[in-house]
Amino acid sequence: MTDTTLLALFEDIDPAANAIEKLHEMGVGDSQINVISGVPIMHKMLGRPHPWTNVSRLALGGAIAGFMFGLFLNFGTPALYNVPVGGQYRFPVPPGLIIVFEMTMLFALLSTFLGVFLDSYFPNYRPLEYVPEISDGKIGIFFKYPVDEQEKFVDAMNQLGAESVRPTEAQQL
Amino acid sequence: MAVTSKYFPGAEKGHETEHEEHDPRESLMYDPKPRGEMNQMVMESMLTTSCKFWVVFCMLAVLVATCFFYAWGYMIAEGLGVAGVMRPSYWGIFLVNTVFWIGISHAGTFISAILRVMKAEFRRPFTRAAELMTTFGLIQAGASIFMHLGRVWLAYWLFPIPNERQLWPNFHSPLMWDLLAITTYVLGSTMYLFLPLIPDLAMARDRSTGWRKTFFKTLALGFRGTEGEWRHLQTAMNIFAFAIIPVMFSVHTIVSWDFAMAMRPGWSSTVFGPYFVLGALHSGMGAVAIVLCLMRATMKHMDYFLRAEHFDALGKLMMIVSFAYAYFFFNDYIVQWYGGDKWTDALLHWLEEGPMAWMFYQLIFFNIVLPWLTLWNRKIRQNPWLLALIGLLINVGMYWERYLIVPVMLTINRMPFTWKLYEPRIEIFLTIGTFSLFLLFYLAASRLIPLIPVWEVQEGQMTHSLRKVGKTQVPTISEFE
Amino acid sequence: MSIDLNLVGAKGAIAQEAEGKWGMVIDQDVCTGCQACVAACAMENNLSFVGEEDAGYGRTQHWIRIERFWEGAYPEVKSTPFQPMLCQQCGSAPCEPVCPVFASVHSQSQDINLQVYNRCVGTRYCANNCPYQVRQFNYRDYHLDPIHANEVDGQLVYPFHNQFNPDVTVRRRGVMEKCTFCIQRIHKAEDTAKSQGREVVDGEMVPACAQACPSNAITFGRLDDPESLVSQMAHDERGFKHLEELNTMPRITYLKEG
Repeated sequence: MTDTTLLALFEDIDPAANAIEKLHEMGVGDSQINVISGVPIMHKMLGRPHPWTNVSRLALGGAIAGFMFGLFLNFGTPALYNVPVGGQYRFPVPPGLIIVFEMTMLFALLSTFLGVFLDSYFPNYRPLEYVPEISDGKIGIFFKYPVDEQEKFVDAMNQLGAESVRPTEAQQL
Repeated sequence: MAVTSKYFPGAEKGHETEHEEHDPRESLMYDPKPRGEMNQMVMESMLTTSCKFWVVFCMLAVLVATCFFYAWGYMIAEGLGVAGVMRPSYWGIFLVNTVFWIGISHAGTFISAILRVMKAEFRRPFTRAAELMTTFGLIQAGASIFMHLGRVWLAYWLFPIPNERQLWPNFHSPLMWDLLAITTYVLGSTMYLFLPLIPDLAMARDRSTGWRKTFFKTLALGFRGTEGEWRHLQTAMNIFAFAIIPVMFSVHTIVSWDFAMAMRPGWSSTVFGPYFVLGALHSGMGAVAIVLCLMRATMKHMDYFLRAEHFDALGKLMMIVSFAYAYFFFNDYIVQWYGGDKWTDALLHWLEEGPMAWMFYQLIFFNIVLPWLTLWNRKIRQNPWLLALIGLLINVGMYWERYLIVPVMLTINRMPFTWKLYEPRIEIFLTIGTFSLFLLFYLAASRLIPLIPVWEVQEGQMTHSLRKVGKTQVPTISEFE
Repeated sequence: MSIDLNLVGAKGAIAQEAEGKWGMVIDQDVCTGCQACVAACAMENNLSFVGEEDAGYGRTQHWIRIERFWEGAYPEVKSTPFQPMLCQQCGSAPCEPVCPVFASVHSQSQDINLQVYNRCVGTRYCANNCPYQVRQFNYRDYHLDPIHANEVDGQLVYPFHNQFNPDVTVRRRGVMEKCTFCIQRIHKAEDTAKSQGREVVDGEMVPACAQACPSNAITFGRLDDPESLVSQMAHDERGFKHLEELNTMPRITYLKEG
């Protein structure tokens, strides 16, 4: 009994949420359901588990790295090669605050950005589960199901108001 | 309801009727269209070009080739002698341009970050147009700074890169803080431009063929819209929105410190930090008004997305910023005026009665008097052309302000033997070049990427609804995050 | 862990050696405004001739200039004494902290302000920050201006190049420069002294301007040597420092009209 993927396309959030509840009743687990939509929808609205993200942790890590780099630039470089200027201290504190702030923000922003790439596995040009209708605002529920029970699932989805129900496979975007 | 206004239905009705019969569906958030239709509109506005567009594009390209690249190359070969800098105005229009373009770029961050953090829903259709101004404005600012260098081919010495001389740059210098801050800001705002652009690039990918499809496919990075992807994107956008606000304030403050740290009369003022930031917002808001007006007038379907309410809100912001700007300007001015320090006195006399006094009075009129006289009026605010004109005049006033601060204030220093007025030479061409390049970038972007963040507009429309309370329908906004 | 408060801190500018090592006294009472110092400096330090137009526009290459102010018209002219203005080699130089590439630094050994030509990228912040406005910028390659050249056998030959001082570099366009107290002469004197195993004594070398001055208005020497002439003249009751309120700690004392 091989599993294949069925796609149920919905226009609105309410029918989609009902469909997911029905899928749970029919024995399809959350890990076998993939909800793809054209706008972000709160997981609670659909009855889905909380999607975790590492982006904020990566951002914090980046901020710390930036902080250290800023400290190095302002306090480390004069220690490495001191060039005396204008009666100012060798390790000046107010400019140090500025430089540490800027480098903290820079690395935090860079690591946030790269964190999105990392967490989402961007860039991903391999074939993926997707249909273009999703960017037109539809909500697509991709779920794995035992292939001999296809009729049952198609009927259930259609009853709940799906725009279309069809088997899909990964395609080039 | 009879449609009387050429621009917006209902906008020219009498005051009483407007209050009583204001239809919430005049507002974009309460006038939803199916996403597919909005996508189609945005794609059409991107793909439709006319003869006029190509004529303007070619003219700008010619201007960029001559006034930017050729003029700059000539200046690098001949030296800064072809520019107008001399003693005592060692800094001239190049610095004015740098400050001006960084100023323009602040509006983009204000709209996409501050308005997002404050949950001002009217920002939704024009965040990308504003954020594009940030990126392109910062490119011009960077170009102006490099133009200003005497030996630009050695500019890499300003960067803290390990080298065989084991020399590091001087972090005591405000120019180094400038470098770090502007680098942070340009990278941060470009990333902040790109993140919300990804879902729209995915939409464009799905609706394109040929080379455009390859282009969008590559840039969209394989985005689909899974729950995980949205979660990562939204977390990142929240972090960016909060983080880029202090960066934005710090960048223009640090740029102002290039002047404030110098011991020149008129320059070493402690209020320069916030004064410059507010000035930046002032000119930036005006520039956004110009850009939105032009978008609405020249691109298809933009009248659906950019409505009276947006110009109204923008106009109110412009007025508020002009109040804040006037507050800081007066702070700076009156302290110098009262002081009695003979050099500052001489400087103020020079500004008010010298050869550039016309600039001084024009800047007061354009930056303060004009917004105060006009922007309180809703009809003026809702008229895109009037708002764009006011924005243009504000930008002229702000350019004069920077021109007065940089070369003109440098004229009066503590060595009267050196006093001499600056004359711009090749800088005029290079300034035209930077403006042309900015517009060229913008025109190119309008053809290459969708200028309206459709997913954000749809998200906003989903959260806005009309709820019956008592006898009337009340606009209601829910929070989806 | 204790922090050396002489190195790390948030305070503003700290005092360098208040007196300094090499210094100058300029007697404004005897200066005749003959500009011999200007000419000598230009010859000694390979200064370029910028031409009438650029000089009139404010681009003179004068490491030392004679300032004069007057009011009224001839014959009822009231004028100030002539004021030679050159780099004051400040102890707390405002030009130094603002250079982003360390092209303007303080010499530990000579206690004067150095301009490192081959490091300068030409941001000109130092010139803006100098309250005495004594820094000069090379706006063009004046030495290579064809107007100064003769054409010989189809090639441009520059006769001015023959008078260049071989001890001093020639600056290209885009580089900032200023008076160095003829540091090439200081170095020569120090080399001689070192080879003889002693310190440089006061009076062993003078910069070109002091050498050329016909009325001995410029006195140069070791400020840290209390026996030296310049040190004694610096404490004269007529002595003052320009823009003293800015706390730049200049090494040049001016003697006002007495």
